[in-house]
Amino acid sequence: MTVPRSPTAAPWRRALPWLVVLTLVALAVARMVYLGSVGERFNAAFFTRALIDSIKLGSLYALIALGYTMVYGIIRLINFAHGEVFMIGAFTPYFLFTLTPYAWPAALVMALILAYGLLRVVELFRGSMRDPVVLGVAAVGFVGLAFALASWSWPFWAALVGSMLATAVLGLSIDRMAYVPLRTAPRNSLLITAIAVSFLLQNVGLLAFTNRQTPFRPDTPLTAPVSLDVGGVAVQTNWLLVAIPVITLVLVVALTSFVNRTRLGKAMRASAQDAEVAQMMGVSVDKVIATTFLLGSLLAAAGGAMWGLNFGSLNQPAIMGILPGIKAFAAAVIGGIGSLPGAVIGALIIGFSENFLTALFPRTPTFLGITEFKDTFAFVLLIVVLLVKPSGIVGEDLSEKV
Amino acid sequence: MARVATPTAFDAIDPARRLRNLALTLAAIGVGVLVLWGLESVGSAKLTQALALFAVWGVATVSLNLINGTLGILSLGHHGFMLIGGYTTGLLILDEAARQRILTSARSTMTEQTLGISVANLLQSVGLDGLTTPETLWARYLIAIFLGGLLAAVAGLVVGIPSLRLRGDYLAIVTFGFGEIIRLTASTRLFSAYTNGALGFPGVTSEFGKSVWWTFGVLAFTVFVISKLKYSSYGRAMQAIREDEIAAQAMGVNVAYHKVLGFVISAFFAGVAGGLWVSWLGGVRLDFFLFQLTFFFLVAISAGGTGSITGVLLGTALVVFVRQYGDPLEESYAIRTWLYLAAGVLALAAAGAFAFRSLRRLRPRLHWGTLVLAGTAALAALVAAIDPAFLEGSFRGFGMRAIFLSVLLIVIMVFRPEGMIGRAEFSWAALLREQRTGPTDEERAQDAWLSNPKLNAGGAGPRDDAGPPDDAGPARDEGGR
Amino acid sequence: MAMLEVEHLRKSFGGLTATNDVSFRVNEGEIVSIIGPNGAGKSTIFNLVTGVYRPDGGDVRFQGASIVGKSTNQIVGLGIARTFQNLRLFTQMTVLENVLVGQHHQLRSTWLSSVLRTPGYRRQERAMREAATEKLAFFGPRLQSFRLNQPVYVLSYANRRRTEMARAMATGAKLLLLDEPSAGMNPKETAEITQIIRRMRDEGGYTILLVEHKMNLVGEISDRVIVLDYGQKIAEGSYHDVVHDPLVIEAYLGKKATVDRAEDGEVDGASDPADGGIARPTVGEGVGDA
Repeated sequence: MTVPRSPTAAPWRRALPWLVVLTLVALAVARMVYLGSVGERFNAAFFTRALIDSIKLGSLYALIALGYTMVYGIIRLINFAHGEVFMIGAFTPYFLFTLTPYAWPAALVMALILAYGLLRVVELFRGSMRDPVVLGVAAVGFVGLAFALASWSWPFWAALVGSMLATAVLGLSIDRMAYVPLRTAPRNSLLITAIAVSFLLQNVGLLAFTNRQTPFRPDTPLTAPVSLDVGGVAVQTNWLLVAIPVITLVLVVALTSFVNRTRLGKAMRASAQDAEVAQMMGVSVDKVIATTFLLGSLLAAAGGAMWGLNFGSLNQPAIMGILPGIKAFAAAVIGGIGSLPGAVIGALIIGFSENFLTALFPRTPTFLGITEFKDTFAFVLLIVVLLVKPSGIVGEDLSEKV
Repeated sequence: MARVATPTAFDAIDPARRLRNLALTLAAIGVGVLVLWGLESVGSAKLTQALALFAVWGVATVSLNLINGTLGILSLGHHGFMLIGGYTTGLLILDEAARQRILTSARSTMTEQTLGISVANLLQSVGLDGLTTPETLWARYLIAIFLGGLLAAVAGLVVGIPSLRLRGDYLAIVTFGFGEIIRLTASTRLFSAYTNGALGFPGVTSEFGKSVWWTFGVLAFTVFVISKLKYSSYGRAMQAIREDEIAAQAMGVNVAYHKVLGFVISAFFAGVAGGLWVSWLGGVRLDFFLFQLTFFFLVAISAGGTGSITGVLLGTALVVFVRQYGDPLEESYAIRTWLYLAAGVLALAAAGAFAFRSLRRLRPRLHWGTLVLAGTAALAALVAAIDPAFLEGSFRGFGMRAIFLSVLLIVIMVFRPEGMIGRAEFSWAALLREQRTGPTDEERAQDAWLSNPKLNAGGAGPRDDAGPPDDAGPARDEGGR
Repeated sequence: MAMLEVEHLRKSFGGLTATNDVSFRVNEGEIVSIIGPNGAGKSTIFNLVTGVYRPDGGDVRFQGASIVGKSTNQIVGLGIARTFQNLRLFTQMTVLENVLVGQHHQLRSTWLSSVLRTPGYRRQERAMREAATEKLAFFGPRLQSFRLNQPVYVLSYANRRRTEMARAMATGAKLLLLDEPSAGMNPKETAEITQIIRRMRDEGGYTILLVEHKMNLVGEISDRVIVLDYGQKIAEGSYHDVVHDPLVIEAYLGKKATVDRAEDGEVDGASDPADGGIARPTVGEGVGDA
């Protein structure tokens, strides 16, 4: 999915984003020192908090941003529904570690739906469901899953895996049902459909959870508290500080290896460059798109689960996915849409700026702070980047041939 | 030769037809006035409210369609323009009692200075005291919504500028971003002196927003302006931009000017709609201007048909109907009832799928998916009928209307993206069947003669040999819609 | 003063030099053709002249004044219009509407006047329709009456090309850039379009610069021919001269072709001009009657 840097851009243009980042970092450090000298509260521990939050938030945004960037890279669609997929990826583990074991009928129905979904996914890639091996495995899986749902109280790790699978299937279903019929439709129609799907999911979430917050506190060692000693002050945090970036790293590395080393990954990169020609070369662009949605949703689900762990509760479904979705999309654009490392870079930038902006301009007696503008900032940055350098930090130039 | 019909005419060119059209329009307006008056007198308050809402949202959707439909730019920030117009109008028209209440309220962030911004004060400062009496509230309201529209138009100018550099998805996101930025910024300290932050201010007069006369009057004005613009040379230029921006530029159309013009005019009317909206609601609050509003407008214009103003109004009627009369869906019902409802919907979907496949001549007609739908419907109904123990309890249908509209939009986009009536526009010419897009029999015969070399071996030169006739079959379009 | 002067025009896209020091002029009332193998940069010249691309170097002057840096629609206002190689019509709009769009930039009324349908606007609208119908009439009876109100997507390919040409004429331009006007047309249609182009110059007073592959068309109406290869001008002159120029033959057929022809004794103009061009088929679309 990585696209070569544009060789035609003037050197100063390519260096510009890095210069901007360096300047900002320098300014931030200066400001930190200044604040430290001005108020006792703004010591190293305070900024370490911000650093910890930034790393975690940046990782989470990266998991969501990758889904956006992959889908856009191939079908040039901003998948509005991806934020909602992330939201569902956060609520599904809740269902799995809180409400298990389920009553038998419910367990059977859920296992049936999931098994059927996975079966269809396999069918997509192997061409047919009628292979006895596949059907056999599916049957065994169905029974096992129903059993597991009905008699076991799922631990968090199992809920996470289950949620990732289920959300991946959901993400693919969205594509199959809503986007595939519009492959040849004008762009605007596709975007409107994505918006409609997003809205639908939000309201289904509202239906299920109304407008209350949902606590998210599974019993897992990942949230075990940890105390750091920074310059003499104790900073309380938990193992998520390590877990989130590590899990993210593992997933990102896995994804990148898949894209760079496997045949299907090569097909994905080819389709991202020129889907039409790839199809002429025998690549099944349909399968590639399906894979993209699967992988993107998989990652978003992981992000959702860890988001819940990080904040301890889930916002109401109707609004939970909106802001992170937009910010992750902004991250993908800033890093360079269509580029995997770009999405990660952009996500870290957004994660850092979000936390450090509030840290660097905190509430003082004379200044009320800019927490209010935290969310606006992502939008503004997105618009600025789109107007000034739409190809982002790493990205390619997309223009039309006359 | 047969007479030349005016192409996609909304109004005619020759004076005789213009006069006739004018007479017909006036007659239609007369009939409409009578109908409205009748509905208002005998109908319930709910009906009047719904009609008024239809007109208010109609102003918004028709103006949104200028960008989305005519210019072909997907704009998702309409709620932002409405916010600007709504807050401006609300503040300007707020009565003294409401202002006092806000001033004395502990949590309000508005100052005496900002609360002093009103049309009444404005008029007094220029000496037009006569217009500050209670009887002339209508005049002040008119000024207030006009100013609201003007401020929104300025915002439209700002939002229009990115449209010069961005296309498609990116531009849509930017407009969405602007809509959200406007809303988020309105809640911040920067503006809370003017907006009262998250509290907003109640007490905006409902006299105009809930009045069918006012709202339909403004709607009529909006439809007039937008339709005249769409069916003028400027409208053609905008459609050309939608079809092929590069070609339009190459034919001399100043694309930048037309795009910005579209945004400014659209934003103006959105602001006006916002002013009506706050009057309909009786107050101003940030959460009256969520993205959900733009989404409803999108459903309206897509369901009706982005190519025609008539279609947009039809779609708006549908959406308003669902919103106003759909609240029974959001009550709390026993789970049994929901199961029956689900069974009904699934059965309907199955029937719809079967009908769709039959109409479009797709085989097999009874697709396995249809069977699954029907089977699930039957299963749900069966389970509900048996009423087993674990189905106890009730369930509140939060957000059902939005779900319905979302599903509707997806179904429309997949099965009938041109909307209910596509590009067909209501016009007297169309109604009276004056307009033809196909040849008369005489012309058909001539065409055949022209293209058949054996027939014209007698005298026509090589220049008349045109090859096969053009309308040898309905050729579907090759790409854009 | 020539109507169009192109001087040392240069344009590169990354590593690829599309246009390399190209200079030529087009005088008023001329029909000049640009030919060359595929990828020689012919459409690029059009894009450079019409302001779609900005040249890296050189100048383009129209009626004495430089137009480099002007936007495309400004250039149209000055008097240059073009058609497109791959047809760029407004597919959902009718034939008449397409041509009327070409007239729009000459409209003197503001948008407000058009909304209010002032008498001034009505008058101009009527005049624009007359002008549009008149331009379409250039192509005979096939783009008249009921056809005017048909959406362009029902039209045959040849009629679409004609509509595009009418649209370009409707802009009121004095210089028309026609990008492969006969592409996709059969021989009879090609012959017809050849006559029409000539009539455009003779009756309509247009100056025409065209890019073409069909040598019979080029040969029949061009006053001058310019040959491009790899972005450079390699020959200019009358059709006959250009066609026998060894460099041109080499560009199309390779060096061996020039050697062969020298051996056959054909290089020095000994071949029959009436056969329509080079005796062997060209790289482009075919010679003479297919």
